[in-house]
Amino acid sequence: MLLLWALSLHCFAQIQVSGQVSDEDGAPLAGVDVTAGNVKTRTDQAGRFSFIAPGKDRREVVLSKRGFQTYRQILAAADAPLYLRIILLPAERQLQEVQVLGDRDARLREQPLSVRAVDATFIRRNLGGSMMKTLERLPGVKTIGIGSGQSKPLIRGLGFNRVVVVDKGVKHEGQQWGADHGLEIDQFAAGRIEIVKGPASFLYGSDAIGGTIRIEPPAAPAADGLAGTFTGLAKSNNQLIGGSLQTALRHDKWFADGRFSYQDYGDYRVPATQVNVYNYPVALHRHQLRNTAGKERAVHLTAGYLDSTFRSVFFLSNTWNKSGFFANAHGLEPRRVDAAMHDARSHDILLPAQQVNHFKLLNRSSWQTGNQLFEAELGFQRNFRQEHSDYVNHGYMPAIYPRELAIPSDLERQFDKQVYSLNFRNTLAFERHRLTIGINTERQLNSIGGWSFLVPAFRQFSAGAFAVDNYQITGQLLLQTALRYDHVNFRSFGYSDWFATPVGSESLNLQRAAALGRKFNSLTWSAGLSYSPMPFFARLNVGRSFRVPIAKELAANGVNYHYFSYERGNSQLDPEQSYQADAGLGWKNSVWDITLSPYLNYFSNYIYLNPTADHDYSYGAGNQVFAYTQSRVLRYGLELELSRKIGGGRSIEVLGEYLHARQLSGSKKGFSLPFSPPPSVLFSLTQEFNNGNWLRDAFVSADYRLTAAQNNIVPPERKTPGSAVADLRAGATILAGKQPIGLNLQFRNVFDTKYFMHTSFYRLIDLPEMGRDVVLSISIPFHHQHKKNP
Amino acid sequence: MTALACLVLAGCSKDETPVDTTYPVIDLAFQGASPQQCGTFSRGQKISFKARFSDNVALGSYSVDVHHNFDHHSHSTEVSDCALAPVKVPVKPYLLIRNFPIAGNPAAYEAVTEFDIPADADPGDYHFLIRLTDREGWQTLKGISIKIN
Repeated sequence: MLLLWALSLHCFAQIQVSGQVSDEDGAPLAGVDVTAGNVKTRTDQAGRFSFIAPGKDRREVVLSKRGFQTYRQILAAADAPLYLRIILLPAERQLQEVQVLGDRDARLREQPLSVRAVDATFIRRNLGGSMMKTLERLPGVKTIGIGSGQSKPLIRGLGFNRVVVVDKGVKHEGQQWGADHGLEIDQFAAGRIEIVKGPASFLYGSDAIGGTIRIEPPAAPAADGLAGTFTGLAKSNNQLIGGSLQTALRHDKWFADGRFSYQDYGDYRVPATQVNVYNYPVALHRHQLRNTAGKERAVHLTAGYLDSTFRSVFFLSNTWNKSGFFANAHGLEPRRVDAAMHDARSHDILLPAQQVNHFKLLNRSSWQTGNQLFEAELGFQRNFRQEHSDYVNHGYMPAIYPRELAIPSDLERQFDKQVYSLNFRNTLAFERHRLTIGINTERQLNSIGGWSFLVPAFRQFSAGAFAVDNYQITGQLLLQTALRYDHVNFRSFGYSDWFATPVGSESLNLQRAAALGRKFNSLTWSAGLSYSPMPFFARLNVGRSFRVPIAKELAANGVNYHYFSYERGNSQLDPEQSYQADAGLGWKNSVWDITLSPYLNYFSNYIYLNPTADHDYSYGAGNQVFAYTQSRVLRYGLELELSRKIGGGRSIEVLGEYLHARQLSGSKKGFSLPFSPPPSVLFSLTQEFNNGNWLRDAFVSADYRLTAAQNNIVPPERKTPGSAVADLRAGATILAGKQPIGLNLQFRNVFDTKYFMHTSFYRLIDLPEMGRDVVLSISIPFHHQHKKNP
Repeated sequence: MTALACLVLAGCSKDETPVDTTYPVIDLAFQGASPQQCGTFSRGQKISFKARFSDNVALGSYSVDVHHNFDHHSHSTEVSDCALAPVKVPVKPYLLIRNFPIAGNPAAYEAVTEFDIPADADPGDYHFLIRLTDREGWQTLKGISIKIN
């Protein structure tokens, strides 16, 4: 610093430059080298720096620290002192969008939206049976699952088509509406996951009304040569064996990456000997859920070109999974459950079963020129889903499956979705603004198959244009405003039964769906302010979001034998509108890290599948009518994240969440919404070790989660009692010679507690959650680097 | 922030009328109730149906479904299962689906009706399934195993 002052005495037209450097989670970074011309300094413990820039030199400031990507910025000509707020990204994130414009996506804490990010280390330490199970530890994030392998996100109590999953910049499209459907994402292939809690329709359009999960791939290798990782996973409860092998090659500006992942697992076990499938008692063989075994395979090939201004990467991937449905709970009538056959082996997948293949080909490119950044994503994906089950003549279907029918007799349902996506964004940095304008377009082709009918085939085109401005009013105050317009064109096809139903004196092949065309337009907006005089920060965001009704909501007309429900769509539904206020308050320094995130949300027309008092004879085969309706809904809630370092490598953590939802109109006025998670709080204690030698990043950690009872229910839910579940985790990187080996061990549900999760698909059949589970994961990185010329 | 806090507090403090979360009840355990578990009926004659329904607030509707169980699907809500005849392939199984609204939404109702069994229906094991809803949409099921001779 003395040197700086000395220099300043000798120079003409100097300006003072100060600022603060943090990592992408907002933690201050000390010891960052800051260079401007021949001025050199370092950040202090609070990440702050300050120097006097010599006026005549080229005013480029360079920040570097080991383990982080080097940051460069040309300082604008100014007379007033400059204050810079800089976020350094980990060196391993090479595929990160171009950073030259500054802190593009990294200012998580400073965003007006509630964004939470987890990296590969979090994923390794919490690895569950599926990506969403892994993320479940975060407050405000739950899953709707059917056991081990399949689960889908529930953010602040909203799920299905109210949460968007964005994989490598492109919206991931599967059959999001089904509670028994998974996500079809390979969790081994995720490098970093960001969760936006709350609506982000202004960025992703329809569906991003409840939340967004952004999945980024792992980094391309930073240096020339060959590198890779082997990850292994084993789980005791369902005898899961899994693994993933990844290898990447980099040569100068080109790189290629390949990955193969697999998982095989058997029937999973619960701490119960009997469950009640809608009043029908079912005995479990050795605590096993009959026929819940599964397997997954995934292949990823990535190749691209990276230089300092232009990047273009192709991603090719195919994930495949097949898993059994709990045989006793599949459908209205658990027919043909041959207990002896199903119980003979726990690893075989018999009928009923589901099989899904998801293929993706994406390109992601960006080009930086001057103060402009152009980004584009282009993609094709196909989600092919089949549900197999022995033919069961529900309702008036013939007792014997007709031989002449072209549909295989064991194909209950088939959904084939093909999606073309194109996104384009242009970001312009000027003065204190960062303005992004962009478009998202998507075309979907959906066809159906199988002897059972729920949703018709449909086509959908959607296009949205948006503008988002980030205005850095001062170094600590950011204003974000956004405006978006969307247009969706929906067209579904007619469908008639292949069998006849007696109606009066006639026998008719009932038409279940007539051709339908709907067009939807929507204007959404968002405004948010964040104020972050470190270590304190606060944010507030208000906005309007929307969601276009999906095919099932518009045109369902069949029996869902999972729920004993005859589901009837409503072709007149309006797009769902939501208004949300979202706030955050926090304090982060080297000891404390506290974030409090309250929110308030009002839907003027929440689309809701309402169980009515009626039964339907002809279309519903005598089942209870569930009709799609719209009602006004008020939701509010709160999440708390608190962690404190207590010295000696110890830290405590408290994660809590509370959510309240209430319907304000319609026939369920006063009731909650389905799948509303009860309040819960997780206490965690962690001890970290480091012997500085062969043992690195070692930790032992205990989690204790208390969940309150959920008595706020709505038909057809059941009240769920409270629970207390303990988990233990431990992990370390061990150096075997020069070879690091990452080991992680988890004891989930240590005491084999019998408990229920309100949001589980199988909650309705009184099925407890998984019993004790020991999860071991191992990760072995390897690399071979070319010697660089001096 | 203040505005948000007020709204949240207002939401909390507002009195919430308690909603009905009680399932309706199907009672077949009284003198004269029919069908009974493992009950036997004859082709060309009638199945008599007599059940008592009750709810804490108001009943909605009920439906009755009779279908064959020649494939031995486990479907009974009763703990004791009946001795089933061997598995067989259906030829002309008896199938009945009927739904009945309960007029006036009373809190208690006794359903009394009869269903014809065609003389040429396949004899054998059948399921008699009763579904009952209340006005709020809560549903209770009862599955009874019967035999048709």
